Amino acid sequence: MPWFRADLHLHSCLSPCGDLECSPSAIAATAKERGIALAALTDHNSALNCPAFAEACRRNRVAALFGMEVTSREEVHLLCLFETVAQALEMGQVLYAALANIPNRPETFGDQVYVDIDEVILGTVDKHLTAAVSYSADEINDLVLARGGLFIPAHIDRAVTSMQSQLGFLPEGNYHAVEVLRSPCSLDTGGYTQICDSDAHFLDDIASRWFEFEADVPDFSGLKEALARGAIRLSIDW
Amino acid sequence: MKTSDLGTALGYEPVQQDYTDREISSGYTSDLLSDVMANAAENCVLVTIQAHKNTIAVSSMAGISAIVICNSRPLPEDMIQAAAGEQIALFLTEKNQFTVSGEIYNRLKTE
Repeated sequence: MPWFRADLHLHSCLSPCGDLECSPSAIAATAKERGIALAALTDHNSALNCPAFAEACRRNRVAALFGMEVTSREEVHLLCLFETVAQALEMGQVLYAALANIPNRPETFGDQVYVDIDEVILGTVDKHLTAAVSYSADEINDLVLARGGLFIPAHIDRAVTSMQSQLGFLPEGNYHAVEVLRSPCSLDTGGYTQICDSDAHFLDDIASRWFEFEADVPDFSGLKEALARGAIRLSIDW
Repeated sequence: MKTSDLGTALGYEPVQQDYTDREISSGYTSDLLSDVMANAAENCVLVTIQAHKNTIAVSSMAGISAIVICNSRPLPEDMIQAAAGEQIALFLTEKNQFTVSGEIYNRLKTE
């Protein structure tokens, strides 16, 4: 079976901390250039750039997943990934309703714009997207499973907004994998499959970390099976 | 100060009363559970806004006797159940962490 390279943690211009140059089109083109077969767009608590990302990935012949990086009430970051844009957008609506009502101040935090395939701005998001939603990590896990998505605690060994920084340990959960920054991971990973991603906020950082998975096809099902089998190899181990 | 004094003397709302009424000699205020785990003293009262069941897991590991949740943060049912399971007292108040810390500090100081 072939191995495919993936980067499942990418921010676009919708994330206030994401560079404005990170349009869905530019992200897809850069991922293609850097040999990424499967890419996921994971802006903070929102999937509004996923429609353009889907089209951009189609044009660049990169397989795509759609989702978001949720900030739980513990202020832990969690990757939620879906097979379709519709699933991601619906989850995004549920999250936005539960997001703390803090208006974004672009001059302080950065812009939160969603765009079309030609980088035309379609709208801006009012609430500050990196704030926390009212759901706990467990509840978000359940919401994702109920929608058939993949649930992966993000950068669990990071100094901020991680399982390690917020809780000090990795609680048991229905995780499809855990995302790590370093190998070996400083936090006990509890036997869950590990992946690593770039968490790129700038085009230059795309695929600065990646992992490979073994599958017939680089799609949602192929990835899900590879994660379950542990048929994964990390760039940070090479 | 006894654990129950958090309710009777300081007026915080008791949410979970399935606990041993131990003597409390110190408090710790933090919203970072990794910090709580590293620095909270045993048998202390934790003042926090982290209202979820992982707070109970960390409190259990750190040997914390009681938790006061501030700012009227909603308490999920699984957190209340976990607190009962671990025999950790759970209180709720509309006051913030600064005020609650001051009240508990003053109470402990006069003993």
